[in-house]
Amino acid sequence: MLRLVLATALGRAAGRLSRLLGRGGSALPGLVAEKVDPRTIERLVAPIRHGVIVVTGTNGKTTTTKMLVAMLESEGRRVVTNPTGSNLARGIATRLIEVASWRGRVDADVAVFEADEAAVRTLAPRLQPEVIVVTNLARDQLDRYGELATTAAHVAEAVRHAGVAVLNADDPLVAELGRAARAVCFFGAAEGIRRAMPHDSSLYGPGEDAAPRPLDVRLERAEPDGDGQVIELSVASGERRAARLQVPGPYNGYNAAGAVLAAVTFGVPFARAVGALEEVRPAFGRGQVVEYRGRRVKLLLVKNPAGLNQAIRLLSALPPGAPVLMAINDLDADGRDVSWLWDARVEDLAGSGHRFGTAGLRAYDMALRLKYAGLEAWSEIDFRAALDRFADGIPEGATGYLVPTYTAMLRFLDLLLPGTGRREAWA
Amino acid sequence: MSDLVIAHLYPYEMNIYGDTGNVIALRRRLEWRGLSARVDPVPVGAPYDFAAADLVFGGGGQDRSQLQVAEDLQQRAAAIGEAVAAGTVFLTICGTYQLFGRRFLTQDGREIPGIGVFALETLGGRKRMIGNIVVSTPWGELVGFENHSGRTLLDPGQAALGKVNKGYGNNETRGEEGAVTANCFGTYLHGSLLPKNPSFADELLARALHRREGKVVALAPLDDRLEHLAAQAAARRP
Repeated sequence: MLRLVLATALGRAAGRLSRLLGRGGSALPGLVAEKVDPRTIERLVAPIRHGVIVVTGTNGKTTTTKMLVAMLESEGRRVVTNPTGSNLARGIATRLIEVASWRGRVDADVAVFEADEAAVRTLAPRLQPEVIVVTNLARDQLDRYGELATTAAHVAEAVRHAGVAVLNADDPLVAELGRAARAVCFFGAAEGIRRAMPHDSSLYGPGEDAAPRPLDVRLERAEPDGDGQVIELSVASGERRAARLQVPGPYNGYNAAGAVLAAVTFGVPFARAVGALEEVRPAFGRGQVVEYRGRRVKLLLVKNPAGLNQAIRLLSALPPGAPVLMAINDLDADGRDVSWLWDARVEDLAGSGHRFGTAGLRAYDMALRLKYAGLEAWSEIDFRAALDRFADGIPEGATGYLVPTYTAMLRFLDLLLPGTGRREAWA
Repeated sequence: MSDLVIAHLYPYEMNIYGDTGNVIALRRRLEWRGLSARVDPVPVGAPYDFAAADLVFGGGGQDRSQLQVAEDLQQRAAAIGEAVAAGTVFLTICGTYQLFGRRFLTQDGREIPGIGVFALETLGGRKRMIGNIVVSTPWGELVGFENHSGRTLLDPGQAALGKVNKGYGNNETRGEEGAVTANCFGTYLHGSLLPKNPSFADELLARALHRREGKVVALAPLDDRLEHLAAQAAARRP
């Protein structure tokens, strides 16, 4: 107890010092507290009344977490959650310290944490989640995560520690995790939508689809609507509800289905969960729209081939002539190996008629990928120069599409919304 | 001229990162010169006549796929050996490169037999060799990315592909990278090797066309400025 009080106090002090030094909300408090008391996380989550929900997977963690938080809050629950992207133990510890009383007590009904798919193996036994949501599993940066089979094995370990696993039935690797679960329920989509969201093994060969399973929540339709889309979800009883999402793309329809199912298992009525979706604003960089010099810039963060394919699908559906800036960095957080660009279906953009630019440390790699897909692009390594050239090409009243990797996104947000990017980087 | 036939070995099993980029590069560089290619996928278990191919490509895979592929490759050892002897062009990368050697000894002491096209062995190790790599070869400087834990040891007399200027290569001690036997090339530079190294891509195409036509086929020069910019940027990265 005394140790926890000390850990919390020292962690907070470290956070204040870090902010004084202009580094924003850093992961430092969590790091410091865990040094003082390595069981900080366990002790701080223990008194949370209805326990913890963990969201993991390759893509969609942040958006799913945001949706789930909105649903639980609409039921009047007090929710603790980790801010965008800080999904390692230190980020979660930092958040818990921030909300704890000086005696180290977290006053909340429920915690919803997104967890990095490589870190979730060690996080799950510490958090003992009531529910774990797995969005999807696809090849990610090989130099960071290793092979996909290894990631799947890590997530399976985590699933063993959860009361209920909420799994994507249309992703064969995720559906397979049901074997490791104490209890399991599935979300998925109608045939047409499922075909628009190829899973990893079908992207890399004639991989087998997941065996059909009865679904607890099903995405029935997803139709573009302005910057977002209208989706309809159904439950096993046959009840159907529609909602307008502020985020586009069938992948976000899947995220909504997963979040609704997790909320329902937590006692939120289906209709209320679906209704809460309408208020959910796009997470940082994930379909977020920013004004820059009077132009609209839409950010589509990409981290891996599956994510880039989703962005490509979205761009292909736009009327011709859209300005697109693809910004590729190769820092540790992006993955140092950019060969994944060759695995995405860039050729699908060949007939789009869009105007392409590339930026970032590996701007020329992206331009080369476009060239071999039959597309021309300008390149600017420098972020400011690239952003200005991109913005100049956006006609008044139109929208430009910015497709960055993680650290490239932070750099752009620093330019678009000064201050934000850096805060994020240290989160 | 009829299509150049490219056999893509194990396209579903051995495609860990960007390997299709190499096939895209070969195809496009033919098309930009008014030539064309046909790509034959050769997955595990599918019969294939290697005498029909002008150029054979095989990439890297996850450990699980590599075991599956190793067994399948044994069935094709004689046919591939004949094709190499007949001067068919091969480009083997990472996992396929290792299996074109004599054997792979895993860290836990298992032996995975290779097909012995190259006089080399690979030992599984704990340390992963990851990063951008630059290699000097008779076909110019090659820039790529490596990510492997296997350490490959060439027999005396086995020619390497080149000397490592930056990175690890076959193993961290000898400064050699890859192997070459006749028209068969092996390397750890995975993923998009050929798009960023257009001279090497053209060397493979020229050899394949030469063998098929029985005479030197001149390849018209292409504008490779972007290719070189990308390679230079990669060479500067850690």
